[in-house]
Amino acid sequence: MPAAPLLEVDDLRVAFRTRDGVVNAVNGLSFTVGRGEVLGIVGESGSGKSMAMYSMMGLLDNPNATVTGSARFEGTELIGMPLPKLNRLRGSSIAMIFQDPMTALTPVYTVGWQIVEQIRTHEKVSSQAAWKRAIALLDEVGIPDAARRAKSYPHEFSGGMRQRVMIAMSLACHPSLLIADEPTTALDVTTQRQILELIRDLQAKYGSSVIMITHDMGVISEIADRVIVMYAGRAVELGGKSQVVRSPRHPYTWGLLGAIPRPGQRGQRLATIPGLPPGPHDDQIGCPFRSRCRFAMDECSEMPQLRATGEAADHLDACWLSGDARKSLRGEIA
Amino acid sequence: MLFVAKRLGSALLVMFAISIVVFLIFFATPGVDPAARLAGRGASPEVLSQVRHAFGFDQPLPVRYVLMMDHLFVTRDLTSYVNIGDKVVPQIMQAAPVTLSLVLGAAVIWIVLGLGGGILATRFRGSVVDPIIMVIGIAAVSLPAYWVGEVVNLITQDRLHDSVFSWVPPLGYVPFAQNPGQWALHLLFPWLTLALLYGGIYARVLRAELVTAMGEDYVRTGRAKGLSERRILWRHALRGSLSPVVSLFGLDLGSLIGGAALLTEVVFGLPGIGKLTWDSLQNLDLPVIMACVLYAAFFVVAANAIVDLLYAVIDPRVRRA
Amino acid sequence: MSETILRADDVVKQFALRGRHRGTIKAVDGVSLEVKAGETLGIVGESGCGKSTFGQCLTRLVDVTSGTIQFEGTDISKLSRRQLRPVRSRLQMVFQDPYSSLNPRMRVGDIVAEPMRIHKTGDRRAIQARVADLLERVGFDASMAGRFPHEFSGGQRQRIGIARALALNPSVLVADEPVSALDVSVQAQVLNLLADLQDEFGLTYVFIAHDLGVVEHVSDRVAVMYLGEIVELADAEELYASPAHHYTAALLSAIPQLDGEAEPERERIVLTGDVPSPANKPSGCPFHPRCPAATEICRTEHPVLHEEGGRAVACHHPLPLRVLSSAERGA
Repeated sequence: MPAAPLLEVDDLRVAFRTRDGVVNAVNGLSFTVGRGEVLGIVGESGSGKSMAMYSMMGLLDNPNATVTGSARFEGTELIGMPLPKLNRLRGSSIAMIFQDPMTALTPVYTVGWQIVEQIRTHEKVSSQAAWKRAIALLDEVGIPDAARRAKSYPHEFSGGMRQRVMIAMSLACHPSLLIADEPTTALDVTTQRQILELIRDLQAKYGSSVIMITHDMGVISEIADRVIVMYAGRAVELGGKSQVVRSPRHPYTWGLLGAIPRPGQRGQRLATIPGLPPGPHDDQIGCPFRSRCRFAMDECSEMPQLRATGEAADHLDACWLSGDARKSLRGEIA
Repeated sequence: MLFVAKRLGSALLVMFAISIVVFLIFFATPGVDPAARLAGRGASPEVLSQVRHAFGFDQPLPVRYVLMMDHLFVTRDLTSYVNIGDKVVPQIMQAAPVTLSLVLGAAVIWIVLGLGGGILATRFRGSVVDPIIMVIGIAAVSLPAYWVGEVVNLITQDRLHDSVFSWVPPLGYVPFAQNPGQWALHLLFPWLTLALLYGGIYARVLRAELVTAMGEDYVRTGRAKGLSERRILWRHALRGSLSPVVSLFGLDLGSLIGGAALLTEVVFGLPGIGKLTWDSLQNLDLPVIMACVLYAAFFVVAANAIVDLLYAVIDPRVRRA
Repeated sequence: MSETILRADDVVKQFALRGRHRGTIKAVDGVSLEVKAGETLGIVGESGCGKSTFGQCLTRLVDVTSGTIQFEGTDISKLSRRQLRPVRSRLQMVFQDPYSSLNPRMRVGDIVAEPMRIHKTGDRRAIQARVADLLERVGFDASMAGRFPHEFSGGQRQRIGIARALALNPSVLVADEPVSALDVSVQAQVLNLLADLQDEFGLTYVFIAHDLGVVEHVSDRVAVMYLGEIVELADAEELYASPAHHYTAALLSAIPQLDGEAEPERERIVLTGDVPSPANKPSGCPFHPRCPAATEICRTEHPVLHEEGGRAVACHHPLPLRVLSSAERGA
């Protein structure tokens, strides 16, 4: 029997009550994360990728949001878990880092203090022992002169260094799952490189699983084992990294990959996806991409299931196009 | 340390500037002859010039300024124009403790009310507690202090004085040194009256700040760390939210001690700075007015300096500036 | 070779610093370059390298501290606001943030018409017709003129910004991070639009961005900036295929690559540390504290931008140039 996955998400939905009716920000998302695996979730703004993670972690504080479906972490249901119990998981077994390292740390405490707080929230250790560990962690994530820098305030660090602090803090209690929400988006490219290397090294060292949320296919390519492509609150494609990046199956993924400027295509037109992503109030029946899809057919008024349409059984997509036609159709786009 | 020294230095400088401006306004205004007021009505020219010489009014302006400051701070023998013989400085010294007792006591109450109300309202956001506290807050802000004072007096001194409030002493002030118990008892209702107004403002300001802070990214980080909501509110959100409250507190405290508690003082028959200033203004008693203004300016400037220092304690980002 | 339309000579922009670190910083420190008519010159660099400030110097949105900027043959670096007016119509800027660069209280038609009204290019009717034409040109229906900016998405707003910039028939467009706030699919739409407009109107672009992939895609030549200086300037293909400056090489190797992408063999260079603050710029070569090839001379002597065969690099120990295969050249 194969080992149970670390995280099993099944039909996750996040609905917001608004003045104009109910809006589904996440619309039936299902996936698993294995132990030691790096899962990339890629999508454009508004695709629901961050929302899905926040809903799972109980971080949506909008009173109009309802979360349904299931997310089992090591067999325990996260959705609807009472807050005290959830708080024992958050920061210890499941840690998170966020997009903007400039605002994610409390400005009025030293970074060491904040890491110590993290440790002592979950473990009964003395303040001195926790400080020692905080300094060791800062050292491990590559902060020079960690013992002194631990006593510095967040505003005294650069963006990249703050993200390192966030990573050190997230690792403090050896989480088995790290959720990274666009951790490098706000950073410069050389700093992004440093942070990606760091996450990869630490992941290899501790064997934690990682969910990496990003809009950047390049970042996904660098770090993920498997990829989910999200569009309008749904997963439209799911597969191994190479499967998705090299032989994408969903027309949206084709468009997304075609829109990236690549070396050697200087001056050529980029493949674009016409139109705009559906707004939250557009109708949510059928394939959400069909209004922008040049291959839309009658069937598309019904939502296709995420399923294997090609040879690989672990490469799923949600599209009505026949498996054989895809290759030639994709050629038309590129 | 440098920061502290710099801040105090600039406070002194501001005080100096204020004293010059006040001096110029009151004693170098064309058409106002201080000697004439000092010598009393119908004084002969000889007497006038004598007074002028004695007080140095025939000297150039800078010398007059120095003389005036000397009278005020060094020899402390500046006398009132109106009640000749009454020295100004002792008058202020007598009035100041009354105002200080009133304002500081009230400040303790309104800080407790304001912070408590603001925190409670934020903690129970979404339930009925929040709007109830906020409505009480806005009601407290909207009621004029003198009106509340009059109503309180009406009830405690008159209507219910024979039954529920028989323990309430008559209006007036008893020095702390003389009888601490009576001091507190005399000031109880003035304190509550003044604190009601400011407590309402502070609760609303703090709630607004806290609600903003609870939407910040670092609060989300705190939740992701597994911190309890209580800890996030008290340790993370509250500290940053205190800055505006502290600056508000500094301004309020400075101006109230400086005499802005006038209406409360008058209603409750407390002979404080506010009342002193009011009386001297009515009589155009220049030395007293100037002393009162300088005294008020001192507290406002001092309060601001303290606020800035507190700011630096609360928020490390300020320390660099 | 086509003529130079915009030319910067030793441009310096200095800012005064207040507070504890009192003093001045040079955000732009002696930048010289030429922009040729009809080309796209890309300027890349990380945050704080001075590329945006330099863009604002080029269009005289800020005053330059020293140096000259020649636009269509006249020195515009010292012109007064009034004298700049006719220049402004020919030299336009497109900004990064499509959310804050459009006045939210103005209708889109008025936003696009405003520069024409200021410069009095025609009567009301002519301007109205031109607005409709411009809006159609950037992919809108002319009926959109009556709407307000908040009714549009980020990409659409950026197109409105472009329409406004085109209103006065400029010859040069300085675009400061025009697509960095946009999603990938929308970004591609705007990049294609910019390319179409260039073909149609023969525009010259100065394209400032931090995204090397985007800059390579749109540019004929690329300048790489670091701490207020140009460290390398070359044809886009050559620069990307064979960088000469170690900083350029590090930047290129830092771009996340798509899986299975055929790339020129590149050693992965991970820079250590952060970009130093321009307030305490290192002596000698500004890049030496982070450079893998730094030697003594780099610490003491400032390398000058040395041009050879159309490529310019400011480095004491430039990387050997790889000769491009004809296939790469053709690409």
